Amino acid sequence: MNKSIHMPCLCRIAIILFLLIGTPKAAIAESEKTLYEGDSIYNHITIRQAGTNRCMIFGRHRDQRQTCMSIPRPDESVFEYTAMMFVGFRLLPDTRNVCLIGLGGGYIPTVFRMHLPQVRLQSVEVDPLVVRLAKEHFSFQLAAGHALSVTDGRQYLRRTPEKFDQIWIDAFNSDYIPAHMTTREFLELCRARLTRNGIVVQNVHNSNQLFDAQVTTFRSVFRYVYVFEGTNSSNSIIVAAREPLYAPPRFCGEQCRSRIGPIDLVRESRKFNPTPAIRKERILTDDFNPANLLLNRK
Amino acid sequence: MVLVYLAFALLLFMFGAVIMSLEILSSNLMSPYFGGSVYIWGSIISSFMVHFSIGYVLGGYLAKRAFKVSLFTFLLAVSAVWVLFIPQMHAPACNFIADRIVDVRAGSLAAMNILFFFPITIMAMVSPYIIGILTHYHRDSSWTAGLVLFLSTLGSFVGTNLTAFFLIDWFPVSRIVAGLGWICLAASLLVLSFRLDRKLGRASRIRL
Repeated sequence: MNKSIHMPCLCRIAIILFLLIGTPKAAIAESEKTLYEGDSIYNHITIRQAGTNRCMIFGRHRDQRQTCMSIPRPDESVFEYTAMMFVGFRLLPDTRNVCLIGLGGGYIPTVFRMHLPQVRLQSVEVDPLVVRLAKEHFSFQLAAGHALSVTDGRQYLRRTPEKFDQIWIDAFNSDYIPAHMTTREFLELCRARLTRNGIVVQNVHNSNQLFDAQVTTFRSVFRYVYVFEGTNSSNSIIVAAREPLYAPPRFCGEQCRSRIGPIDLVRESRKFNPTPAIRKERILTDDFNPANLLLNRK
Repeated sequence: MVLVYLAFALLLFMFGAVIMSLEILSSNLMSPYFGGSVYIWGSIISSFMVHFSIGYVLGGYLAKRAFKVSLFTFLLAVSAVWVLFIPQMHAPACNFIADRIVDVRAGSLAAMNILFFFPITIMAMVSPYIIGILTHYHRDSSWTAGLVLFLSTLGSFVGTNLTAFFLIDWFPVSRIVAGLGWICLAASLLVLSFRLDRKLGRASRIRL
């Protein structure tokens, strides 16, 4: 008797739960496709495609660092920070060569290949599997004037005699960062590998104390440090120079290009914050470096 | 014998803690020169394992030969002095190696062994040496071995967590390493001052 009364109730509850919880998951599963999942010696890497966007995800959670590319329009910046990094060309429009530390899916080299063919690009990626997956799933290819070294970014800069107009650092996870590339000694090495008006461009998350420590450390090495803040993400870009040719907020004005492919450089330039709120933090050095602890402090 | 047990407990806990603290810190010492990859951790762990292995054999051998506790604690004091100099040694040593060995695995292995072979090998002798000495006294090693390993491992647990979660956040690595050296030196000299050979000799009637 009791059973006959309770069963329809349970069925209704089950249907409601299915509608509430089950349906969205099913929808996500339908729209998202996992193309690859595996481990390298550095990362757990997943490649997923949602609609026309294909992403390389590092770590085991979807909210961790990812690098995405629009398959039909590979030069379109899916994330805000990748477009922001190109403001480097508003400070030094006649850039001849760039060193990029951190390849990911190869979005940045793709923009260089399609829209900046005159600029030599030296990419440095520590993880051989990332390089292989970028080639297999993101159509990454070395263009003329492009080179790739599979090694640690700091070790590459230490050994190369070459000087660069821009050094871009995009090697940090949201949950783990290579601490040896946050220190004053590393930035001094970058400075030594820059041309006279050369700049360092680094992507950082601004939602933790590491951001404050990074800006403080940059300021201890470079005379000019500029912060660009994302408007719809927690990403910031730190740009640093000894002698900037065209400094914010004026940049190179009308004298230089306002777009690189679909990237609106003028719009990205407006994200410059002349008075960023930086909390007091100690300078990070090879000797004092709690970078990964600061990363987890809000 | 209470003083002997206390002194041995102090050595086991302290050196267990310092060994693991140095192991954690060595990644900070290596990464500026050889990168922060899993290779570095491979070099660190495998180097320490080799140092442990040699230290265990030597510690057991010294106990079998009834090596005096005073001489043994003197050896520990020498290893502590070596640790005190690691902050001065590590940059020139790592630069020298990194300039000559391109492969980060070989480079970090070489650097780890130059910096840590001597102190870690000696520190690893503590557990087998104390097990051997106390076995002479008790004529039974089962409970002794268990307690010795418990204290040493407890020290390792404290050293690992204290270093990774707090000390790296509070102090420069060079100061932590130097601090560990001073702690080891103080513990060694303190135990040396207890003149344990006489107490153990009287208690066990064995010649030490």
